[in-house]
Amino acid sequence: MTTTHTNKSSGIVESDSLTGRVSGFLGAIPTWALWFFVVVWTIPSLGLFINSFRTRDAQRNSGWWLFWQDNASGNGGLTLDNYRDVLGSSATGGLGNGMLNSFAIAIVSTVIPIAIAAFAAYAFAWIKFKGRDTLFILVVALLAVPSQVALIPLLQMYAGGAHITLPFIDKTLTIFPDLNLAGTIPAVWLTHTGFALPFAIFLLHNYIAGLPPDLFESARIDGADHFTIFRKIVVPLSIPVLAAFTIFQFLWTWNDYLIALTMIGGNRGALPATVVVASLAGEFGLQEHLLTAGAFIITVVPLIVFFALQRFFVRGITAGSVKG
Amino acid sequence: MDRLLVTVVGVVGAIVISGIVFVGANKVFDLAPRRWSVFSTVIGATSMLAVFGLLWGNRLIDQPVAVTAVATLIGGATGFALSQTSSQRAHFAIGGAVGAALGLLAGIFVKPEYWPNLNVIGLSIAVGAFLAVGLSIWAARGRRTSVVRPVLLWGSLGWTVGAFLYPALGSGTQAWTIAAATILGFGFGAWVGSFPLPDQLMRADIALGSRKYIFLIPALGFILMTLVIPLIRTIWLSLLTGLPKELTWVGFQNYIDIVKDPGIIDFSDWTDMFTSRLFIVGMLALAMALIVGLISGKQTGHRLGVNGGSLTALAFGAILIGFAFFTVVRGTISNNLWWIFAVTIFSTGAGLAIAVLTDRSKGENVAKSFIFMPMAISFVGASIIWRFMFIARPPSKNQTGVLNAIWVKIGEWSNSSSATTVVLIILAIILIGLLYLAFAGRKAHKTSVVAGVVVAAIPVVWLMYRFLGPGLGGYAEVQGQIVADPILFLTQSPFNNWWMMLVLIWIQTGFAMVILSAAIKGVPADLLEAAAIDGATESQVFWRITVPQIAPTLGVVVTTLIVTVLKVFDIPKVMTNGNFDTQVLANEMWQKAFTELNFGLGSALAVVIFLGVLPIMWLNVRRMQQQRVSG
Repeated sequence: MTTTHTNKSSGIVESDSLTGRVSGFLGAIPTWALWFFVVVWTIPSLGLFINSFRTRDAQRNSGWWLFWQDNASGNGGLTLDNYRDVLGSSATGGLGNGMLNSFAIAIVSTVIPIAIAAFAAYAFAWIKFKGRDTLFILVVALLAVPSQVALIPLLQMYAGGAHITLPFIDKTLTIFPDLNLAGTIPAVWLTHTGFALPFAIFLLHNYIAGLPPDLFESARIDGADHFTIFRKIVVPLSIPVLAAFTIFQFLWTWNDYLIALTMIGGNRGALPATVVVASLAGEFGLQEHLLTAGAFIITVVPLIVFFALQRFFVRGITAGSVKG
Repeated sequence: MDRLLVTVVGVVGAIVISGIVFVGANKVFDLAPRRWSVFSTVIGATSMLAVFGLLWGNRLIDQPVAVTAVATLIGGATGFALSQTSSQRAHFAIGGAVGAALGLLAGIFVKPEYWPNLNVIGLSIAVGAFLAVGLSIWAARGRRTSVVRPVLLWGSLGWTVGAFLYPALGSGTQAWTIAAATILGFGFGAWVGSFPLPDQLMRADIALGSRKYIFLIPALGFILMTLVIPLIRTIWLSLLTGLPKELTWVGFQNYIDIVKDPGIIDFSDWTDMFTSRLFIVGMLALAMALIVGLISGKQTGHRLGVNGGSLTALAFGAILIGFAFFTVVRGTISNNLWWIFAVTIFSTGAGLAIAVLTDRSKGENVAKSFIFMPMAISFVGASIIWRFMFIARPPSKNQTGVLNAIWVKIGEWSNSSSATTVVLIILAIILIGLLYLAFAGRKAHKTSVVAGVVVAAIPVVWLMYRFLGPGLGGYAEVQGQIVADPILFLTQSPFNNWWMMLVLIWIQTGFAMVILSAAIKGVPADLLEAAAIDGATESQVFWRITVPQIAPTLGVVVTTLIVTVLKVFDIPKVMTNGNFDTQVLANEMWQKAFTELNFGLGSALAVVIFLGVLPIMWLNVRRMQQQRVSG
């Protein structure tokens, strides 16, 4: 779509040179408008980024757009102190420790669902059995279930195990032993895994079901069983969609706040970075200048992943909605 | 360093274990057709590990480690022994004997507090009842096996109930415990031994047929454990009340409390809506949409013409009236609905606008990256980013938040005559440009251009009026002095809700843009060309061809956004924690359940959120079914 195209159809006949110039100006409007949007969308993040290098006094006395005057106005120049303070000191809950926890949560909560969901997606796509379509639709319907409906029972289960009381005979049977998982990182792993599975199965199934059937036919004629087909054909061919899910799930679990806050709660040593920063935000006042550095630190990992692997991330999001 | 080590060990351990389980299960079942004895050994050992693990997990036995290990070994040995004999009688004997031995083992180590009382009548009734059920099923299915098998299976099940589950525990003798367990073990063992001997075909069937279970059970198990069962339990908990350890039944009282609470929804001021400025301006916009529609309809021959001008005015009016409604009807549910209304409309609208713009601009991909970027940021990070945008400093200080700095600056301008003159001149030039455009459009007989210009001119005229007359921006007159008057974005109700919605709109617009952009690029080019050849204007092509073509995708975007917004938690939690009239359901639920430990009310609120999502789940299921039918 070029500018001439827009001119032609914006409804103005190019009769004289003034009109021509006006319509030329109009034709450039989309580009201008787009970049206007880009600037508006970027300003908030940019402001935070610049503020994170300014001293407490500078942040309180002038807007971030005046950062180049900081030295002259006696507020101290640009500095890395905010980062040092927020990562190191225990007064802020130790964001450095929180970052480690975030990695521990995000990596495992990404890897476990991939393995489980890839197998299930393959079964739904290429193993024939009774009731397969119904079961698949039921699983995918759970995509929209809000995590709030599961939080209380899950926390109860992690804290005290899951038991059922048998009807009529009034005896209690333990299904999930009381492992005291509440407040630990494995509780977050389990929760993320369960919540991620419907989406993961849906995303991978769409892709795996679209692989050419001939591949499977010829492999079966060669005597390959399902596991061999899965390992030798499906996994190598599904790398793009596996990558898309990996990135999506990593960002999701890294950015999660609700589940970590609920499942880990008061165990400060195990809290991920998002919860640490959010609780820093809750303490109004003295620490507020550190919030800029804290927010930038929890944002920088997703941004690196995003800009490096944007193609896969976008694919994950579009495949998840356009097809469904 | 210590911390790092624990993290790494945890990560590696979790990954290795999940890998071993999957590969291991597949490898074991691969063995069934070729190495039956190995397969049989592993299955025997695993099943005994599972049975004794369950006893262990329920803390029923003393010395659980040793007992479970011995049972696992015996199970493996039995599996091997069964695979080595090819006579049905030998199978039966081995099964029964080993079963009895394992029963004896379990019986000896059962903790005294679980020794069951002998209750002959209960036992007879249970065994009799189970046998009756089992034998009738066996008869109904055509007596395909020898009568011994249903007797063993159902007799043992009845024995389990009658000897262990039904009677009182802890008052029995050890002798009876051991005897009962041995008989039980014998029954199940003999039943396993009475299976027909597997031939080669059956072994292959086992290897093949097991795959769907191996592939699906971990996923379905996880989903059951973390989603389905908790969902059912939450519904159950919502009917209870009290502290977490002592919940008692209250029926629908929690729901009644929710509906009656004025903090949840409060209609008392709803008549104020009709006098609010938002409502009046909204109605004016609707009237204008009607007029523009009628004028352009005259030209196209329809009763009402649909074009950019009339639709903009229509959308503008509808949004204002919606806002008028949500600013007078207050409460948590009203806030949630407002969030849904505003975020869905603005994210979809802005996403669509940007998708259209990128389609015809330079530097498309770079621009898209920047607008999509907030999707990668956490809600917590986004909330903090915007908190700095929204800072309101005291009037005497410099404003350090971008929005208040601009707002106060505009206030300064509208109070300085020189700045006002400059602004008015700029606005006048814009107005003259628009008039020229309207003139050109009139000459070319394009009513839609004229209508669009009229719509665009209104805000310009309004700005001129504000600068000339009452003034604009963040200033106030205090005792004749002009002072700055910043907006308290996060504390001034009800519009603080809207400023928080802006954060989510900022995030979700990128999502809408990416998906709609893909859909717009998917509109068949020949359709567009055919329309252009027929002389359709760009706006006609957009409204009559592009929009209907991307309508299904728009539906997906809207439903996805609604689900996201219904669950919104992080932004209110971090920005205001529900104070200043900004409570939403998810945060209310979290506070009730995990701060006040009122699990009943918390569950009821969770169910309310779930009910909001239900229609969308139903829509999704319908869409999937249609896709399955259409291939």
